[in-house]
Amino acid sequence: MELGLGHFIGLASLLFGIGAVGFLVRRNLLIQLMSIELMLNAVNLTLIAINRWMPGNHAGQVFAFFNIAIAAAGAAVGLAIVISVFRLKKSVQSDSVDLLKH
Amino acid sequence: MTAADMLYLAPLLCLVAGGLAIMLVDAFAPKGPNAQRAELATLTTVVLVAAAGLSVALWMKGSTRGPEWITSYLATDRVALFFDVVICGGTAFAVLLAGGYLREHEMERGEFYPLVLFSAFGAIVLARSTDMLTVFIGLETMSLGVYSLVAFRRTSPRSAEGALKYFLLGSFAAAILLFGAALLYGATGHTDLAGIGAAVKSGHADTRLTVIGLLLLLVGLAFKVSAVPFHQWTPDAYEGAITPVTAFMSVAVKTAAFAVLLRVLVVAFSDPLTASVSTGWPAVFAALAALTMVVGNLAAAVQTSVKRMLAYSSIAHAGYILVAFVALPSQGESAVTAVLFYLAAYTVSNALAFGSLILIGSRGREAVSYDDLAGIGRRNPLVALPFILGMLSLMGFPPTAGFFAKYYVFSVAVQAGGGMVWLAVLGVLSSVIGAYYYLRVVVFMFMKEPKEGQTIAVPMKSGYVVIALILSAYFVLRMGLAPGAYLEWALEAAKRLV
Repeated sequence: MELGLGHFIGLASLLFGIGAVGFLVRRNLLIQLMSIELMLNAVNLTLIAINRWMPGNHAGQVFAFFNIAIAAAGAAVGLAIVISVFRLKKSVQSDSVDLLKH
Repeated sequence: MTAADMLYLAPLLCLVAGGLAIMLVDAFAPKGPNAQRAELATLTTVVLVAAAGLSVALWMKGSTRGPEWITSYLATDRVALFFDVVICGGTAFAVLLAGGYLREHEMERGEFYPLVLFSAFGAIVLARSTDMLTVFIGLETMSLGVYSLVAFRRTSPRSAEGALKYFLLGSFAAAILLFGAALLYGATGHTDLAGIGAAVKSGHADTRLTVIGLLLLLVGLAFKVSAVPFHQWTPDAYEGAITPVTAFMSVAVKTAAFAVLLRVLVVAFSDPLTASVSTGWPAVFAALAALTMVVGNLAAAVQTSVKRMLAYSSIAHAGYILVAFVALPSQGESAVTAVLFYLAAYTVSNALAFGSLILIGSRGREAVSYDDLAGIGRRNPLVALPFILGMLSLMGFPPTAGFFAKYYVFSVAVQAGGGMVWLAVLGVLSSVIGAYYYLRVVVFMFMKEPKEGQTIAVPMKSGYVVIALILSAYFVLRMGLAPGAYLEWALEAAKRLV
């Protein structure tokens, strides 16, 4: 069986789905951050696979590089916020932050 | 790539250079309890005004057609310049308010101002972006700064909680948006909006992938403009953040998100099939707009905190703006004009409302809930005056900026006809709910007395806040009494986009 673009997009969609479900059902902030990373990496996989089939000006690969850099910056800010929550609450469970309500 | 080409990027370069310079100024400024503090707020405002001035100069210059290596990533047209000025102006208001607020509440730390400038830079990149790559870079540059700003009060659990919720949902939304962009790239082979638009129009694009990609992209952007049902983070982030940051989020961040939504829809998805009123994105937007107006207004009406009420009110206003988006395919130019005018009017009205809320509180006695406002109008009529004007403008009462903004949006919807008329009717009906909670502020200020034992809010004294209030009040009245000039600018910008 020849591997086609459809297989890659299918795999990436699966990864993205696992990340999204993980983000929604897990209550540990660090796992939620990891789920977001999984979603971003699914996007990178999609971009690079598409780039393989439609080389053009290699926009997909360039895009993936930017994603990796920005995801790193995002993780730095996210972890800083998690640390600041941990200092105040002594917990990294998202259920522990419940001050702001309707 | 010549030096003259760089002129088209002058406003952006000005913000970055200013942000870096202010970091240095802060590092070398004398510290300590008795030292003369550096007036970083003044410096930051000067940088923002300079950037806005450069945009105005580019507007006056005549041709706004930039070189291709810029326009394939960042637009240099008049819509871009219009948003430059609105974003820089909104940010300048927030910075002036912060200048007074941070000093009064003794949390003045130098990193605030560079963060705001870099966020504003991201907002402008986002508003100008013509490629999915710059959409994402702008979005994250803006958002990462704002996440940190929301967490600025490090000792406050509310601040950390607001930042955490904003960060988690914001990153989740960004990932969804990005996946949508990747699928659109797969469907069309392009990441630039014009290329995507051409491919979709010619019918070469894979329809299934295009639809899924567009849907994911719209979900991601709906998060950023806080349209119902993607609004849950908004009240928490707005309430947790310090008030100047809330003001910044509700003006600059929201404007940039709407700007990119406008550009994506007009440039990439204006073909008859995807922009079909009954089956394309306008149908989705009609549902979003109706939900956002109704839910935003109803939720705002039951709040006990004024800050949270203003957060829900910003959701409701997003709904009104979305009404104009539904009219985009049929009304084109005038719908874009209505959106541009609305965002400008909303920026000055919100700066006025949040500024007044800041002015009413002082150290240790910050005004947050309705009860804090009780009787302030009788004790300090002058302090209550800008608040009344801000509420009237947000309510859409003539002759304020808010009235004409709402008027143009709803009249575009009525002109579009058909099913759009009921949307306009729904908008007017839900603004009536808006009148209830905006006027409640006035009732508390003038007709209630503070309860016994309650700490009484004392207005702060700050030149920064007063300047911000006077300027925003001036523009609220000016745009309400003589909207013609502003409307013409918006129209001139809109002409080139459609």
